[in-house]
Amino acid sequence: MRFFLAAWLCHLAAASLTITISPSSLLPHPHSLPATTHATLTTSDRVLTASLTRSSTLVFSDIPSSGPNSYLLDIRSGEWVFAPYRVDVAADGTVLGIWETFRGNPWDNRGAEKYVVDIAGKAQGDIVIEAKVVGRRGFYEERAKFSPMSLVKNPMILLAIVALGFTLGMPKLMENSAFPQLPFPTMAVDPEMRAEFEQHSRSSPITGATSNAMAGGGFDLAGWMAGTSSGPTADADAARGEATGRDTGAARRRG
Amino acid sequence: MRLQAALFVAACVSPAAAIYTDEVNHIDFHHALLGAPSPDSTFFLRPSTSSNASLLYTISEKSILGAVNPRDGSLVWRQDLSRSASELTGGAGILRGLDGNNAVVGAAGDYISSWSAQDGKLVWENKLADESIADLELLELEDASATSSVRDTLALVSNGGAGVVRRLDGDSGKTKWEYKDDSGDTPFQVSSSSTNVFYISLQSSILKGYKIKVTSLDSLTGRQTSHHTLSSDADVTGPESVLFVGANSASPLIVWTDKSLKSLKVNVIGSKQVNTVAIDNVSGQEIEQITVHAAHKLNALPHFLVLYRTSSGSWAEVYHVDLKAAKVSKAYQLPFVSGPSVVATSSIDANVYFTRITDSETVVVSSASHGVLGRWDLELKSSERASNAAAEVVAKGSAVAVRAAILRDSGDWQLIRNGQIEWNRPEALIDAVAAAWVDNDVQEDLVHELEVEGHETLHGAYIHRVKRHVRDLEHLPAWLTELPSRILGSILGDEVTNLDSFGVAKSVIVATQKGRVYALDTGKHGAVTWSIQAVETSSWDVKAIVIESGEATIYPSDGSSITLDVSTGAITSRSSPKDVKFQSIATIENKVLGIQEDGTPASSFDESTGYLVTTSADGRVLGWANSDNKIPVWEFVPPAGQTVLQATARPAHDPVASIGKVLGDRSVLYKYLNPNLVLVSAVDTKGHTAGFYLLDAVSGKVLHEAIQVGVDANQPISSTISENWFAYSFYGDATDESSAKGYQLVISELYESDIPNDRGPLDAAGNYSSIHGDSLPLPHVVSQSFVIPEPISHMAVTQTRQGITTQQLLCTLPFSNSIVGIPRPVLDPRRPVGRDATSSEAEEGLFRYAPFLDFDGKWYLTHARDVAGIKTVLSQPTLLESTSLIFAFGGDIFGTRATPSQAFDILGKSFSKLQLLLTVVALAVGVSFLAPMVRKKQVNMLWKA
Repeated sequence: MRFFLAAWLCHLAAASLTITISPSSLLPHPHSLPATTHATLTTSDRVLTASLTRSSTLVFSDIPSSGPNSYLLDIRSGEWVFAPYRVDVAADGTVLGIWETFRGNPWDNRGAEKYVVDIAGKAQGDIVIEAKVVGRRGFYEERAKFSPMSLVKNPMILLAIVALGFTLGMPKLMENSAFPQLPFPTMAVDPEMRAEFEQHSRSSPITGATSNAMAGGGFDLAGWMAGTSSGPTADADAARGEATGRDTGAARRRG
Repeated sequence: MRLQAALFVAACVSPAAAIYTDEVNHIDFHHALLGAPSPDSTFFLRPSTSSNASLLYTISEKSILGAVNPRDGSLVWRQDLSRSASELTGGAGILRGLDGNNAVVGAAGDYISSWSAQDGKLVWENKLADESIADLELLELEDASATSSVRDTLALVSNGGAGVVRRLDGDSGKTKWEYKDDSGDTPFQVSSSSTNVFYISLQSSILKGYKIKVTSLDSLTGRQTSHHTLSSDADVTGPESVLFVGANSASPLIVWTDKSLKSLKVNVIGSKQVNTVAIDNVSGQEIEQITVHAAHKLNALPHFLVLYRTSSGSWAEVYHVDLKAAKVSKAYQLPFVSGPSVVATSSIDANVYFTRITDSETVVVSSASHGVLGRWDLELKSSERASNAAAEVVAKGSAVAVRAAILRDSGDWQLIRNGQIEWNRPEALIDAVAAAWVDNDVQEDLVHELEVEGHETLHGAYIHRVKRHVRDLEHLPAWLTELPSRILGSILGDEVTNLDSFGVAKSVIVATQKGRVYALDTGKHGAVTWSIQAVETSSWDVKAIVIESGEATIYPSDGSSITLDVSTGAITSRSSPKDVKFQSIATIENKVLGIQEDGTPASSFDESTGYLVTTSADGRVLGWANSDNKIPVWEFVPPAGQTVLQATARPAHDPVASIGKVLGDRSVLYKYLNPNLVLVSAVDTKGHTAGFYLLDAVSGKVLHEAIQVGVDANQPISSTISENWFAYSFYGDATDESSAKGYQLVISELYESDIPNDRGPLDAAGNYSSIHGDSLPLPHVVSQSFVIPEPISHMAVTQTRQGITTQQLLCTLPFSNSIVGIPRPVLDPRRPVGRDATSSEAEEGLFRYAPFLDFDGKWYLTHARDVAGIKTVLSQPTLLESTSLIFAFGGDIFGTRATPSQAFDILGKSFSKLQLLLTVVALAVGVSFLAPMVRKKQVNMLWKA
């Protein structure tokens, strides 16, 4: 029994490799890692596995002593991606060194050193290294959410709103002020002056054309082709003439 | 940095076909299974002292330890102990937990481990060297030195027949003391009291039978304080004769019976006295089974129940134990009930309750008196016998409520709460060995009718058609009545269009190792439509399931067959086993052919115009012509040292949408499309090499071969072939310091020629032959190899109706318990190496090659699910070109719809019919409101002007 106990203790005394997962900016709560999280040490003909413990560590307690080996250390945990490590082990099972490694690169292309054995040959205790979280997998596609703001931000909708604003707002503006170009449209205006302005603007060629159009047709194509009506240019000419002559009414009705 | 770059590139090119969060549980389903729970190791337990609700813990016969939420039957966590245990000693594992302890301790084979009860994380683990675990208990009371709330574990270990009792520290699992029994007795059980640990072993007596030996150990030091033997040698013939050994001071009992089942022998552990209680067999029938039920909780009353089962029914007797006097007395009897029944024990404080569940009702009684505290009729009677139960009783004043988890013989694990079935877990599906899709043939009648019309005269066909349409009118009223609900459903429903008629709701027939057959409906989240026990066996080696015209025929390896109706599960015919052992079953033109172990077909297949490729047990690949089933046409023997692992052919449904690949400069690279391709993978275990050989199945000619070095044969090697490409994966060790180490995925594409617009030697030939002449040209093979982060245990390819949709390589990842669908454009072997893609290459969708291929999260078909133990993945086309159905089995059951090129022919969930309707209505309202206004304005304008 004593022999057995000794063997048992020896077994435990073999250096263990502990990988800790500490909080980082990517993974602030290592305790939230799923219970399926595990680490593997892989080399030819051997795979060692360690499960995640309550204290967010992964412990390889018995690395077998069967010839020198160079292991690939992977940590797999659902959506979290960890950096792979290279673990070199001597023939008696002691860990010689741990480095970061790069997948798809030559095996001797080692990255940052995590641990290397003490040359003085001190008794090897437990080796503790830290796991490095490098990313998080996004499993899901984001569905575009419907929001009224996105609708408003649409340029077509913006154009339509501006156009609507003009069509509705402009006549109101015109009604209230004689001189829309004046900075203070609400200032008191002499009614006589206003009447004059309105008359002037009504007979202007542009407003004339627009009101013609609004009155339902503008230019009478059939009449013009038959020669009974004057052309659009003639119409405008007439309007210009009327404007100078300050005679309104008759020409307008004709449209 | 490299990783990020790789991820970024991958994200740029992969067609975004990932699942949306709102589609989870809608297009996919998952049965997370444990296997049948073992009776002694299933219990309700509060996971921590602070939590109110309890979880249901179990270790299954598959040695999977898990916690299930009793509310809805969902899995909280699980750990597969069989992964860590190197040898499983037949029997199920052992699981122990105690209220007030934050951990559960489980053991299987040579592996003991303690897991946090709340979240399933490891507390400690112990691998025994050349020993196997015999019994496990949690030590009752902490001794004065213990400070933590974690209890120590008592482990009884069998070390080559000698018993070793160890006390393991609750926090670290380290051995505090151990006691080795060198007397050669059979180690049996351990039990504990507040001061002592009892080691119970079976001492074989001189004549026959066993004496029960109780060794008392000091619980602090492990020193033997006393021992005595109970004279049971006349009754006990082996470990199975002892009915019960209590775990702790709630039930410090050893119970056995005499051989004639006339009296019950009860010993209170620690005393030398054996109480004999006569069994009052009122039914007069022969007792078939006796089970003892006692409370596990420490402060519970020492009352226990003995259930006697006869062939037609059962009764139970409740006994009270006087611990001081070590006396046992009968308290009362639960009457004989015909039909099967199970009993579960539960306790609240010191009170012990027994729950008896028959096939029609649930009854709760207190251990103190025979008054029925609660009785509920089962609303759904089950025809399946319940084999064991675990129950939890809650007392509300004088009334009680009970929930009981029952394992039925069918393998269903049910929770019955007050007579109502709350959930049902089909645990037997964990043994699934074969599965096949059922093709819904609703259109078959119509096809038949149209055929009739096609063969008749014009006039006759017209009459026939009119008659058919008139006949169809009888469906009109039904169609009209369901129309409103259909419209409403399609507007308010979850799915924009009901796709069931497009073949996305298919049934799958699944056969399990234990002789059960299930029909699962993928349209209803994998719900079990029917299940039957087809064969009474524990190792049903099903080789193939063939589905034809509404019937499924199951072919196991013994040459027999069973035909079932796919819609009801009724067995229509059976054929008896023959004196053969088939290694596989081949189907040629709907004919079934058994392949024997040595690779020879069981019979010739003259009537079929096919050919056959088989693998033989001695590692050869054989090719067969239809006329001869004795001498193969060709034989492929891999190089010396290599043994054939697998031979894969192109899938039966493998449509090719385009015979060439259009390059960026509008020239065409023609695909090498040989329908007779076979990919053979062979491995040399000692030399660490693997060979992959592409054969022509008709002539046996090797078209291409690749040898990989540094291959570990113990790690999974998987391969697949489709259209004009094949892929394989293996673990490649670094052969020297400058080579890479890790899992590799190799993709190869076959072209007729390496020159665009060139069809190679065949050119314009209309026909070619594999055998005659020397005309079978070799393909031009382009390969690229990638380092992947983890092994692939199984490969499959998504199948769509026309093959237009991009394919995905479906890879099962056993280490991360998931299935990943790698888009083919990423796995294009023509990706430029060492330089960026030119503009014409970019037009083809090619981008720079990177040796490391990380699996993008969006490729994970299983997304965040933990889909464990998958052995096979099936893919099935639907009527929608974009969609392929995926069904995975072997451990868990998982099903989903894959849309490798996005769901381009389906309106997605983002399309809201309601929104569309509302927009139309809003526009109509706006127009009707504005129209009078505009008209009025125009009229006004005319008048004003």
